[in-house]
Amino acid sequence: MNDEGQGLVDWAWVTGNLGLIAYYAWQNLYLALVPVLIGLAVSVPLGIACARWGWLYPPVLGVTSVLYALPALALFALMIAWAGLTEAIVIVPLTLYSLALLIPGVVDGLRAVPEPVRQSATAMGFGPVRRLVQVELPLAIPVVIAGLRVATVSSISLVSVGQLMGVGGLGYFFTDGEQRDFPTEVYVGIGLIVILAFAADALLVLLRWSLTPWLRAREAAA
Amino acid sequence: MITFEGVTKRYPGGVVAVDGLDLEVPAGQTMVLVGPSGCGKTTSLRMVNRMVDPTAGRILLGGRDVRGSAPAELRRGIGYVIQQAGLFPHRTVEDNIATVPMLTGWKKGRARGRARELMDLVGLDRQMARRYPHQLSGGQQQRVGVARALAADPPVLLMDEPFSAVDPIIRASLQDELLRIQAELHKTIVLVTHDVEEAIKVGDQVAVFRPGGKLAQVAPPERLLGSPADDYVEDFLGFDRGIRRLSFFGSAGLDLDVEAIASAEATVGMARQQAKDAGQPWLLVVSPQRLPRGWVAAADLETYADGTALGDVPLSPCGHTFRAGADSLRAALDATVLSRTGRAVGVDARGRVVGVTSYEKLRAAIQVAEEASESAGARGRLAGGTRETGHAGGAGAAAGGNGAAAWPGPVPGESGGTA
Amino acid sequence: MSALGSAWHWLISAQQWHGANGIPARLAEHAIYTGISLAIAVAVALPAGLLLGHSRRGGFVAVSAANLGRALPTLGLLVLAFTVSSASPAAWLVPLVVLGIPPVLVNAYEGVLGAGEDLRDAAVGMGMTGRQVLLRVEMPVALPLIIAGIRTAAIQVVATATIAAYIGLGGLGRYIIDGLATKDYAMVAGGAILVVAFALVIQIVFTVTGRLAVPAGLRHRAAGS
Repeated sequence: MNDEGQGLVDWAWVTGNLGLIAYYAWQNLYLALVPVLIGLAVSVPLGIACARWGWLYPPVLGVTSVLYALPALALFALMIAWAGLTEAIVIVPLTLYSLALLIPGVVDGLRAVPEPVRQSATAMGFGPVRRLVQVELPLAIPVVIAGLRVATVSSISLVSVGQLMGVGGLGYFFTDGEQRDFPTEVYVGIGLIVILAFAADALLVLLRWSLTPWLRAREAAA
Repeated sequence: MITFEGVTKRYPGGVVAVDGLDLEVPAGQTMVLVGPSGCGKTTSLRMVNRMVDPTAGRILLGGRDVRGSAPAELRRGIGYVIQQAGLFPHRTVEDNIATVPMLTGWKKGRARGRARELMDLVGLDRQMARRYPHQLSGGQQQRVGVARALAADPPVLLMDEPFSAVDPIIRASLQDELLRIQAELHKTIVLVTHDVEEAIKVGDQVAVFRPGGKLAQVAPPERLLGSPADDYVEDFLGFDRGIRRLSFFGSAGLDLDVEAIASAEATVGMARQQAKDAGQPWLLVVSPQRLPRGWVAAADLETYADGTALGDVPLSPCGHTFRAGADSLRAALDATVLSRTGRAVGVDARGRVVGVTSYEKLRAAIQVAEEASESAGARGRLAGGTRETGHAGGAGAAAGGNGAAAWPGPVPGESGGTA
Repeated sequence: MSALGSAWHWLISAQQWHGANGIPARLAEHAIYTGISLAIAVAVALPAGLLLGHSRRGGFVAVSAANLGRALPTLGLLVLAFTVSSASPAAWLVPLVVLGIPPVLVNAYEGVLGAGEDLRDAAVGMGMTGRQVLLRVEMPVALPLIIAGIRTAAIQVVATATIAAYIGLGGLGRYIIDGLATKDYAMVAGGAILVVAFALVIQIVFTVTGRLAVPAGLRHRAAGS
């Protein structure tokens, strides 16, 4: 039963359980960011390959798009057969989701490099690898980071679904709050997830800002 | 320096972009490839640095087949400038210029120092060094492109329509810069353009292509204008090539009349007598410092009192003047045409009157210059010489005796285009 | 994999196909919940997105909606709705609709924006009123993105409906939740397979609809999900 006159959130509970909250927040971040990082590590080489060999892209895109369309709970549930009730049931599907966002990011970013820039790099004597690393990838950064932002935010949020299998980061407070009929926990869970997601988003914007000094000058001029 | 031997480029599907090209680009000169779209000029250019490989024939650079070197290595020794500059948006101006030196292993500090030297060379304010390309105007970006191509001091520079994307005023100043830089550096330049005026202004040699990738004519610009090889070239050159050719003839041999010049302090009576003696309908009135004041008609002199000073009489403006000896015959002709009296005033570097010309004198000077040019052509190629103002140097034996010099190039500052 | 093998057996065993807890029943429930929620979400978000795009205002709203939609945890919203409404049987509706709104809103907004100034200019120059420009020019051009947006929303709603089994909703999620509760992993896997199949069918339906509804000239504009 809810306590009348408590208001929406029982702050006493919050202050009394900071350790618990921190623990699950940390777990949530870990379970969200590891898939994104693995996804990035896979997407960059795969994206480069798709940009280079165009025929590769449609099948790759098709597979990742289909995976992205599948509900998280179902994928987590299917993972039980392989991984039991461990962290892997969350990490593997979230990695697959991030591929669907990051591979197009890499491909679009590389394709957005203006052709005269690519031509002049070749004409100056850049070999293909050096051109990729020194010219094309740096220019692709904004688009890749845009994909990273979406992947990170959704990852942080989706981790909580894993709670239904016992692996859910801040999702813990949802099931616990439901069982105990204690909305404060639910508010805390939702609030923290949103805060963490937006904070991660802001950090990525900061990262983009620091990696793209030439765009800073453009914004200053605009 | 660069030799095309029977070079052909055929694309799958049958399109022949370049057909059996034989062309020699002499070292230290600017060879301009000019022609309409689809004539193979850009393809030919890009075969020099192996951006395109020929289907048949070969290209020699400094005597060696370009296919003997790895492409990347070959390209680091050749400067390349394209229409949209292709500057790296993510690097500062100085880092853009320093690209090839850094690629070949220079330390960053040294490369950036070299970049700043080049900025001076191409006329860019050093303050721009740390700016990004998008912060520069179109003309400035093109200068960065040229500086970047010159950074590693390559002997050869390839330029593909480098000035086509900027407006005409900027284009003219960039062309002048190129001439100035070339006068200093004497690179071997191959420049592609579709603008025949640019070709004539900038080229030591002009190669006219016709559609289908064949060469129509190769000649120095003055000879091209004077003797087009066939109707196609003549059409391509445009309708007033005769007058444009006069840009290449200096006015040093132009005979200037000094009889019909009177001081502003002279009296009308004296002037009337002078006009009668000289047999001229117009008198040029000059200040005591010999600066031109205006024209007075001999007929009008009758209406004034003998004692009036010439300077007090109403005068017709003398309009456009030309620099005697320094400007070309074309400039002198233009000044004559613009003058209400049919006579143009030649001045020296400080604006003081040297003499007066007329259509007859111009006609004589043009004839002399033509004969000199033809005999020089018969004796062999006109040496390239320099294009600096006032120098007729290197024009070969044409200067001897006749008093008229075949000009080695259009005078800087003249826009080659017809209005 | 014996787990999948037992899932398969569970799927094909006769008893699954009858009764209130049978597959057809649950399938129908899932489809109904999805359909209703999607319809409401589209009814709310599509006009809003079109208007925001047409008026060239509220870009901030659209972007924020998208971000919020991605950040808000599905399970959390469902539990919240359930708890706050004191276990109302319709508690699931609000979260399903709310989470279905952002993709439709954002895509409608961007679709209209993507029609471009030139097109608008031409239409206005021909004498169309604002509303005519929106309905006859901008919306048709925005159609590929709009359909993509509804497809994304459908994904979201199907997924949310699956999770909503936790707060007592029927549908295919029931198998997963109940299976977890009773440690019947064959049921869990079987339910997951059904959900995956359902999601795939929805995808196919939307792809086909998209291809049919969008005239050939516009197809290259479709940016996808």
